[in-house]
Amino acid sequence: MFFNSIDFAVFLPIVFILYWFVVHKNLKLQNTLLVFSSYVFYGWWDWRFLSLIVFSSVLDYVIGLQLKKEARPTKRKLYLWTSIFVNLGFLVFFKYFNFFVDNFVEAFSFFGRKIKPNTLDIILPVGISFYTFQTLSYTIDVYKRKLEPTQDIISFLAFVSFFPQLVAGPIERATNLLPQFYKKREFHYSKAADGCRQILWGFLKKVVIADNCAEFANQIFNNSVSHTGSTLLIGALFFTFQIYGDFSGYSDIAIGTSRLFGFDLKQNFAFPYFSRDIAEFWRRWHISLSTWFRDYLYIPLGGSRGGIRMKVRNTFIIFLVSGFWHGANWTFVVWGFLNALYFLPLLLAKKNRSNLNVVALNKTFPSVIELFKMWLTFGLTVIAWIFFRSENLSHAWSYLNGIFSQSLFSLPTVRPTYLLILIFFFIIIEWIGRHQYYAIEVVLIRKPRAVKWFFYMLIIVLVFIFSSETQKEFIYFQF
Amino acid sequence: MKQFLISLFLFFIIFLIIDKVSWYFINRTADKEYDKRLETVVQGNFEKDIIILGSSRGANNILACQLGSEIGLEVYNLSYKGASILFQEFILKTYLKFNKKPKKILLFLDHKFTLKSDETLKYRYDRLFPISKYNYINDQLIERGKRSYGSKFIGFLRINRKDFFLKKKEPNKNQILTNCGSMPHTSRNNKTLKYNEVITPYNIADEQQEKIRALKKIQMLCKDNSIELFYVFSPSFSSFNFGFYKRFKNLVSSEKNIIVYDTLNPIYKNKDYFYDVSHLHIQGAKIFTTEISTFMYSN
Repeated sequence: MFFNSIDFAVFLPIVFILYWFVVHKNLKLQNTLLVFSSYVFYGWWDWRFLSLIVFSSVLDYVIGLQLKKEARPTKRKLYLWTSIFVNLGFLVFFKYFNFFVDNFVEAFSFFGRKIKPNTLDIILPVGISFYTFQTLSYTIDVYKRKLEPTQDIISFLAFVSFFPQLVAGPIERATNLLPQFYKKREFHYSKAADGCRQILWGFLKKVVIADNCAEFANQIFNNSVSHTGSTLLIGALFFTFQIYGDFSGYSDIAIGTSRLFGFDLKQNFAFPYFSRDIAEFWRRWHISLSTWFRDYLYIPLGGSRGGIRMKVRNTFIIFLVSGFWHGANWTFVVWGFLNALYFLPLLLAKKNRSNLNVVALNKTFPSVIELFKMWLTFGLTVIAWIFFRSENLSHAWSYLNGIFSQSLFSLPTVRPTYLLILIFFFIIIEWIGRHQYYAIEVVLIRKPRAVKWFFYMLIIVLVFIFSSETQKEFIYFQF
Repeated sequence: MKQFLISLFLFFIIFLIIDKVSWYFINRTADKEYDKRLETVVQGNFEKDIIILGSSRGANNILACQLGSEIGLEVYNLSYKGASILFQEFILKTYLKFNKKPKKILLFLDHKFTLKSDETLKYRYDRLFPISKYNYINDQLIERGKRSYGSKFIGFLRINRKDFFLKKKEPNKNQILTNCGSMPHTSRNNKTLKYNEVITPYNIADEQQEKIRALKKIQMLCKDNSIELFYVFSPSFSSFNFGFYKRFKNLVSSEKNIIVYDTLNPIYKNKDYFYDVSHLHIQGAKIFTTEISTFMYSN
């Protein structure tokens, strides 16, 4: 079920009413309802793959309990590796099997041997990359004794499959989300209203910004050879806003929906395009994934403790793995590698933690230096996104060559004025709200209700008008 | 909770009131259109003896008024440039739903492109969006996944960005509609035309099943309503593709009502009678229209 579908518009109020009016007195029933609703939500796409979620959840629940009982380190390690092997095994099979086979065949043909590939027609289960990481974090935290294993299987099933964030994150940690299932949730007007506001902003990002940018980005990327350099640059910029609007929009809707049910999820995007360097960008982009890799890969590999060589090695590892996590294509690996390269100078100069605050704190406008740094970081990010969006490496390379040609200084052939105006206003609102959890969290909050409601209605009208032609899937569903 | 639900309810009510504004634009959109043929179909204002269906070949290559005067019947052309057979089936279905049924239908075929699964010929949603004030049209858009179900109730879900521009649409020089719905080419194309003698073999594997079903549906609709259906192969500035012709004959299992242009007529090898490879100039269209009227008269 997609957030931007009529099915969800019917599903959400039904679950909301049952949750707060029918089963509200019994915590167990509330959690059971969430599990059931989450399975319906997921099964709406393809019920067959529900078995994967149920299997992973039950396995990690049982392993969690065994880890508590078991004191012998070798046995504990065995349990941990069983969980890692099974969960990552599913992920590797469904997501990377054909990629490995194809590359294996190509490697052989390079040496003059021809072998017949035996690829399978595999469907990628929606959200597998997200819930696999979520359930793995539980087992690892229990293994490291950072978390008490849960005895309550319903709460655990609800934690793994919680529908707002099941298919595209944020990837929640058991330490944050699981305890929220143990406690009775109270309804708070301000929290629910805030949730609605965030959902609204998420929809605007997705339907108005991302889907419209997608139309032109697809048009340009799919026929890149016939466009001028300036048009290709516009196409790359549109994709830059598309991916941000799409993914952060999904996160906003997920977080807002969770708040309607009394849950607090962690912030996943913190205005990344206002970053002053690439390290800051990665502290603000897909935060739940970056911190997951930091805690469960970078630190176990030695983190920053073993001198500069180890730091560099570990940084490249997490960026390459992060790239590969996004999909079975070399373009994603190069995207990760490029980001690691951007990161390297900051790491060597020990300046990777120099921009921890929000840009232009307590000021309306950034300084000239801040503006320059933001532009530079944004420009580097745009180049990296070209690899992320391209069909293959040669496509990305020819796209980049196309941009840096003489025709870069000609007038773009694709220039939708309405979209440029929309993006401009979108950036202004994001800039104004950059200190907040999401852009419109406190916009007009102290104004009379009529003014606030006019603003919200304007957003709804925009979302409706722009959603009337087509509905596009969220990009991150494919990851 | 009570306060939240009341606020939500109030918000919803106010939104529904504001939503009424959208209807002003929805209703105005149809008026801005130059080509009002489909709207006239939905309004049920047609009472014709012969209807012509097709894509640009149908729109350009036959002159409906001339045909009407030559055979003494009321003829109207409902061909749309770039329209696939799926769209033609929709036009026929809609016509029969709202108007008095015609006696005959001329279905202009796009030769080897008729059933091909590519995007050259499309379902012309752009003709439906401007008249979505009609629930029948909106339902069609919902059915084909171009509108959400909510558009049945909410005006803002039935409106497009372009609907806010109030300027009337002007046709380009090749889209001037005649009184009977045809759009003949009156100007000349600057490109040089070369007669194409090369025939690529027709491949059944390239066909789209949905388009075959649409063709069968057109046949069924005509049969159920006792309408005589004629299939028309109009002239091209190239050799005739017998591969598709044979395939088509198998599909319709009869040759009787298939009208193929006179492939031996030297006029159809003279570029002065063509606008481009697939479309006749008005002078060529006049000749081909007479050819059709002669065929219909003799059958």
